[in-house]
Amino acid sequence: MSSKRLESDYSRYMDLKEGWVDRRIFWEQEIYEQELEQIFAKAWQFIAHDSMMPNTNDFYTTYMGEDGVIAARQKDGSVKVFLNSCTHRGNKICYADDGNTRNFTCNYHGWAFGTDGELKGLSNEHVYDEGDIDKSKWGLQQARVDSYKGLIFATFDEEAPSLEEFLGDFRWYLDIMLDQDEGGTEFISGGIKNYINANWKFGVENFIGDAYHALWTHDSGFKAMNNNEGFPPADPTGSYHASMNGHGWEFGTDGLADIAILGQPKVLEYYEKMRPKMAERLGEMRSKIFGSLASVSLFPNCSFLPGIQTFRVWLPRGPHKFEMRMWTIVNKNMPDEIKQAINIGCMQTFNPAGVLEMDDGENWEGNTTVNKGAVTRKGKLHYGCGINRRIEHEELPGIVYAGQFNDANQRQFYERWADMMNANKWDDVPTRYTPRYAGKKTV
Amino acid sequence: MMTNEAKSSSNTGSAASLELINEVQQFLYREARHHDNEEFRDWLDMLTEDIHYWMPYRYQRYRKNEKEPTIMDTAYYNDDMECLVKRIIRTETGTCWSEDPATRSAHVVTNIEVELTDNPDEYQVYSLATVHRNINEDEEHTMLGHRTDLIRRVNGVLKLAKRKIILDQNIFKNKSLNVYL
Repeated sequence: MSSKRLESDYSRYMDLKEGWVDRRIFWEQEIYEQELEQIFAKAWQFIAHDSMMPNTNDFYTTYMGEDGVIAARQKDGSVKVFLNSCTHRGNKICYADDGNTRNFTCNYHGWAFGTDGELKGLSNEHVYDEGDIDKSKWGLQQARVDSYKGLIFATFDEEAPSLEEFLGDFRWYLDIMLDQDEGGTEFISGGIKNYINANWKFGVENFIGDAYHALWTHDSGFKAMNNNEGFPPADPTGSYHASMNGHGWEFGTDGLADIAILGQPKVLEYYEKMRPKMAERLGEMRSKIFGSLASVSLFPNCSFLPGIQTFRVWLPRGPHKFEMRMWTIVNKNMPDEIKQAINIGCMQTFNPAGVLEMDDGENWEGNTTVNKGAVTRKGKLHYGCGINRRIEHEELPGIVYAGQFNDANQRQFYERWADMMNANKWDDVPTRYTPRYAGKKTV
Repeated sequence: MMTNEAKSSSNTGSAASLELINEVQQFLYREARHHDNEEFRDWLDMLTEDIHYWMPYRYQRYRKNEKEPTIMDTAYYNDDMECLVKRIIRTETGTCWSEDPATRSAHVVTNIEVELTDNPDEYQVYSLATVHRNINEDEEHTMLGHRTDLIRRVNGVLKLAKRKIILDQNIFKNKSLNVYL
């Protein structure tokens, strides 16, 4: 008796025309190992915001997949990202989350690396004979680094397309968050990290397009923030899903709903005053998208909520666990009073103690752990909402679906996931939308 | 930068009476019992109107890079009374799905020190809160918070005016922080 446990063609884990996804992609260790190779060793990933490392020798440690990395500000203002593992016996060379330093010295034998990742010196160097080591060849493995409007990204794949191409027309949407005025954005100082015993994709897919869950999961949190009034009835008009290269943005166009969730009237007033300027810069449509009920994920594992201003990454820690790192993003030019009102409203709603966030982790752990059951995990999950609502929109780039209560962005996310999992090289990863802004600026 | 230390009442270091220590201990134990029993409105009654309930973020830093958090930084809680009331409203809506079935929690308060301040009606109180949380089938979490409180006597009754909680974890190891430290 034998049964084929796993598929070698990852597109067989889903049928996006029928609208289902196989539960095993949220559970199987072998699939997870393949994700580390095919997605996290290849795709551009969010590392940090520029504002987290303003000065020379500032550093921040994070992960790309399960590979620990250090991001460090160089003398020339650029940022380098390299592996956080000594080239001698492999120990971590930095155990701090962030800081400022001239060297990273390994605790084990005292090999010292510069903030550029180069091997600078060895302790008791005289124990080595001449010719034993060429220090210039034993620096830390460097990632490719690029940034988009304050967000620093890196990839370990030399063959990966440029960051601009990886983001594609999604830049048009990202500008709604990152380029509202000439000052750009910054993160509020500090951040929160927590573990959730769930598959990382449940976090990403929740933010990429799941407006639907908000109405039910977050009824209590929304009432808390909104004078005991629940969400208005779901209205599919004037709202959309837009997806490109696996990145997705679901949004309304009232410009208000997510800002209101902060429970900070002065923030609403601030944006109302600012909106005409935003419209001048980004156009009427984009100025109305900002602040509406909306959520966003960048493929593979970075998300944010425009209006509520939480910004996070979902760092995989095995198939059944992820680490969430979250910050609050604000415009640099905002008065301190507005930044602080956003900081407080954002944290009251979105962190492990947040009145909205508290209800999410429970769901995602449940989604994941049930698949322990051999019978349970053989089942499918339904992703068919709004499957026939695809439209062409003259202003909105990407694969666009009408109505934000929809599974469209989730379907596109899993399609990109399968494309990456199957690809031997980047040329095999298809572009499934028609770019409008290739090689063009989006503001 | 603003911090939430007891600015108005600098610590005199002088000893509190056994009677006062006992009164403060009873106050903290009663607070813990209200949390364990989800008597959140009773808990709110134990706070001053100008309560500042603060649990700043934690990062692991080299000693040379350590810095004190400020109230302008990221925080788990950075709440005034209005914020806290909103949190309690959430639990009263009847649609708070993750709280039904209810969380089982036990607040253990220890290491209580009471210090007098320049203001005879305000006391600086240190304590350690160990919270055991048991939820769902068998999920158990323990959280520790180092607390610095400002407790004020208002019309003869003790009230909590400020609380700063330093969490004893770098990465918060739970999906949610649905209990108060």
